[in-house]
Amino acid sequence: MAASIIETTGLTRSYGDICALKPLDLLVPEGEWLSVMGHSGSGKSTFMNLVGGLDRPTSGSLQVGGENLLALSEDGLARFRREFVGIIFQQHHLVPYLTAVENVMMAQYFHSVPDEAEARFALERVGLGHRLKNRPGELSGGEQQRVCIARAIINSPKLLLGDEPTGNLDHKSTIMVMELLKELRAEENFTVIMVTHNQEVAAWGDRTIYLDDGILVREERLVKTDEG
Amino acid sequence: MTRRRWLIHLVLRALGHRKGRTILLLAVLAMASSLATALGIVSSSMERRVAEEVRKYGANLIVIPETARLEIGSGGLDFGVVSEPTYLQQSLVEGALARSGIKAERSFHLRGALHWKDSDLMVEGVDFADIRRLFPWWQLKGTWPTAGEIVVGNDLAASMKLKPGDMMECGGKGQTVKLRVSGIVTSGGEEDGLLFVALPELQKALELEGQITLVRLMVTAGGDSLKKSAVSLQQLMPGAKVSEVRQTARTSEGLLAKVKLLMLMVTAVVLVSAGSSVAGTMSTTVLERGKEIGLMKAMGGTRVEVMLIFCGEAAMLGVLGGIAGYLCGTIIAQFITRTVFSASADIIPWIACVSLGVSLFLALLGSFGPMISVFKLDPVRSLRGE
Amino acid sequence: MIAIVYKLIPHLLSWFCIVLVLLRCFSVRRSVIMIAGISGFICGVADSAVLFRFFSASTSYAVIKSALGASFFLFWTIAVVAVYRSGERSTTVSSRARWFDSSFSAGVISAFIAIVSGAICACRIPVVDSGALTYAVPVLAAISLAYASLCIEKRISVSFKAAPLGAFAAVVALLLFSSSSLPRLDLFSPLSMKVMKGVHDFVHQFMESILIPDHLFVKPIVWKYIGLLFGKEVGFWGGIIIWFTPVLLIALAIGSARLPSVAHIRQGAQRRKLLAAAIREQRLQLVIPFFSIVIFAGAAYQSSFPSVEYWDPTPVAVTANQAGEIFIPKTGEINLEDGKLHKYLFKQGTREARFFILLGPDGQLTVDLDACAICKPDGYGQADGAVLCYYCKTLIPLETVGKPGGCNPVPISFIEKGDGVAIDGITLINSWVSTVQATTRVTEGGK
Repeated sequence: MAASIIETTGLTRSYGDICALKPLDLLVPEGEWLSVMGHSGSGKSTFMNLVGGLDRPTSGSLQVGGENLLALSEDGLARFRREFVGIIFQQHHLVPYLTAVENVMMAQYFHSVPDEAEARFALERVGLGHRLKNRPGELSGGEQQRVCIARAIINSPKLLLGDEPTGNLDHKSTIMVMELLKELRAEENFTVIMVTHNQEVAAWGDRTIYLDDGILVREERLVKTDEG
Repeated sequence: MTRRRWLIHLVLRALGHRKGRTILLLAVLAMASSLATALGIVSSSMERRVAEEVRKYGANLIVIPETARLEIGSGGLDFGVVSEPTYLQQSLVEGALARSGIKAERSFHLRGALHWKDSDLMVEGVDFADIRRLFPWWQLKGTWPTAGEIVVGNDLAASMKLKPGDMMECGGKGQTVKLRVSGIVTSGGEEDGLLFVALPELQKALELEGQITLVRLMVTAGGDSLKKSAVSLQQLMPGAKVSEVRQTARTSEGLLAKVKLLMLMVTAVVLVSAGSSVAGTMSTTVLERGKEIGLMKAMGGTRVEVMLIFCGEAAMLGVLGGIAGYLCGTIIAQFITRTVFSASADIIPWIACVSLGVSLFLALLGSFGPMISVFKLDPVRSLRGE
Repeated sequence: MIAIVYKLIPHLLSWFCIVLVLLRCFSVRRSVIMIAGISGFICGVADSAVLFRFFSASTSYAVIKSALGASFFLFWTIAVVAVYRSGERSTTVSSRARWFDSSFSAGVISAFIAIVSGAICACRIPVVDSGALTYAVPVLAAISLAYASLCIEKRISVSFKAAPLGAFAAVVALLLFSSSSLPRLDLFSPLSMKVMKGVHDFVHQFMESILIPDHLFVKPIVWKYIGLLFGKEVGFWGGIIIWFTPVLLIALAIGSARLPSVAHIRQGAQRRKLLAAAIREQRLQLVIPFFSIVIFAGAAYQSSFPSVEYWDPTPVAVTANQAGEIFIPKTGEINLEDGKLHKYLFKQGTREARFFILLGPDGQLTVDLDACAICKPDGYGQADGAVLCYYCKTLIPLETVGKPGGCNPVPISFIEKGDGVAIDGITLINSWVSTVQATTRVTEGGK
């Protein structure tokens, strides 16, 4: 069993009186693909933001990759995010005035120095070698999501977070994006945490947890037949 | 690509994306800084000119006999022909001045000709103490004269080969006087062609005791009261003509003050409105780009780094606006000085720093508030679209 | 005593910064640096004291000044070599680096620097009436400052490294800053003077051998430009160039040093991270050279506008008697034999001459023009042990005042008549006119 990359004990996050995440104890081993399911408002996005260092828990302990996120300063969290985490959003959140390559280079800039050749290579890897100089507005939803994936993996993160990455995509694009993620994971060995409410998408993972009203209600380990 | 070049590239891309807004902001900044530039150029170049003009006309009133011809040329008086003389009574003028109660520095002048070495020299009789007080810019080589001594205008000295220490024997109508040159004077005006003798000595030599041809007055009060003094003096001296000398200088001075005031007010208004419009536009931009800011923070940009990108945009606008402002401001200044003062303004390079500074300051000050909201913005909420 | 402490402030401040830089440069050998530094400083103070006791002031100053000059020359050499080598990959440096890293070399280097620093410091202490106690003041101050800088150095972030090149630049800059407040140890003014005189001589030679003066083709406007070469400005700007070039070269060498090769790292993110770290480190290394530039500028400023107050009396007007002789009594209103410069102004008609009378250290009075045969007649001021030409800032030791030649004030023959000094007015005026005419003609270039 690999060492766990995420360790939470009694993780809680409340907004005022509303408790978005009730005390949660969870271990995620390194390299796992974890799907998080639940209805909207079930606390799954909150969980993802906490793990990604975008938000701070109200109480409990949270260790990601050996780093105690509660102890980090605001800038320390930013450093953690740039070096450790890659995020894929449902809305893509690409910068509209930058080309595909430049969008990837943006992530490089915050991490260290921009390197155009490397960014181009990353886009070629996700199958967008022909659309390097296009702005997000000129790309289809699936293509935009692939730019987003290239951007997320450019800094070789240990942890890839997906916030309903296929929520806005049709079935065909969804399959394509999931296949791509699977391939990349095989090469780079990052841990994936994917929030979704689509059973089919969740089935790509190794394990699925179900959140309801901020409480972990069910856990399901999938036995992959194709992986032997 | 280095980080710095990437930052510039990013800023230019962001500005290019919102062309309308960028042009608007640039126009506002350029307008504000061009007005400041124009104000600077007009006041500094015109002030110097007006100061020169004022310096030229030390005295602001002159009194001459009514029949004498007076020509106000480029910076001095020209008494056409000396051989048709009319004179003022010195005592009369003094009495009139005393009665009018006008506070004024005065100097009495008597023009005449003295004969020396078969040529007539233009001579002016003056009180040297008055001269030194009223015309402080006269430059003297040698010393100011004592009794029996004279000073020679620079041009005359050059043409007659006179130098301090020379003796001259001049013949007048009344008597012949022996005079010693004590100094050479340079005034830059028609005085350079004259010989200056103490007034009583000249009066004696020309047999014109108590007579003068010209009184120069420097009335210390300014503005309208100068005209009033001229009128009141005129009434007390029927046989004389009192006129204002400094008219040109005075009008330019007043005009400059008014133009400066107007420009100052316009500039102040424009600066304030430009500042607030920059602030408004910038905060709209920041609001609109909330998601972008959130994304940058989510990707691992620290708060300061993200803020720097937006500050970079403001600074870029400021620099471009400043450059445009300097160019426009120079043109505006030319236009103003041409139309109002009918003179061309100087091109002053260091004013470019002022216009850059004004524009940068406005751009950064205007985006101060928005920058704080950039700094504080919470990535989770902005990405969710709140 | 307080006056001495006050005078020592710039030197002790430089010492403090020198220790700080050295400690950071050899940060693994703090104790060696401290011991070598402090003992070197004491040694330097003692050396200087011995020098001034047993040798003449000018010899002592010359010794210290040549040490400074040598370090500036070495600095130049190192800077040039550094630029030359900055392009190549560091493969052969290892032996040098190993030598440099040994505690022996660290000790030797810091001891040498400390000796010079201490010697400069001790020059501030007057030779007469100074017991061991007076020398203890700077030594104690230096020791406590060294400890203060040790404490501060430990608190400075580790990421802030002082590369040997940068540290050397800073140390030379600080030594020169320290010396620039003493006119007799200052290097910048003599440097610009040398440049000025060099250009002067060169143009002279060039003109004499190639162009005939009053040449048909040499228009007055050309003479105007040639005249520019004779001005003080040429010396100043030439001096500035020589002064700042090495430190700029070092900054250039650090800035253009090849970044470590990262091509062998396969993972992009890691490669970029290393690159970013290397760039950051290079930037930090440039801090010390830039700090040194500021210090060099400070030294040049201090040298051009010295805070030393020169004794410069306003000339007293004198007249000649019927025989055309100027007689100045030795005592009376002005005591000629008080060792100070006394200036007089003699007028005859429109012509005038400025001269001064001074009692030399050998007990002989000298009468000299307030002008020399080379510079514009800006006159002289008296500093301790020397007079200074205001135009070219050359210091002339009092011993040589009264001897002709060079930048020395032009001596005038005189007769000592019992209770006073008699000078021939006509000789004085003629000598002034010929000297001043010669120098102004040259400086304005109108042959």
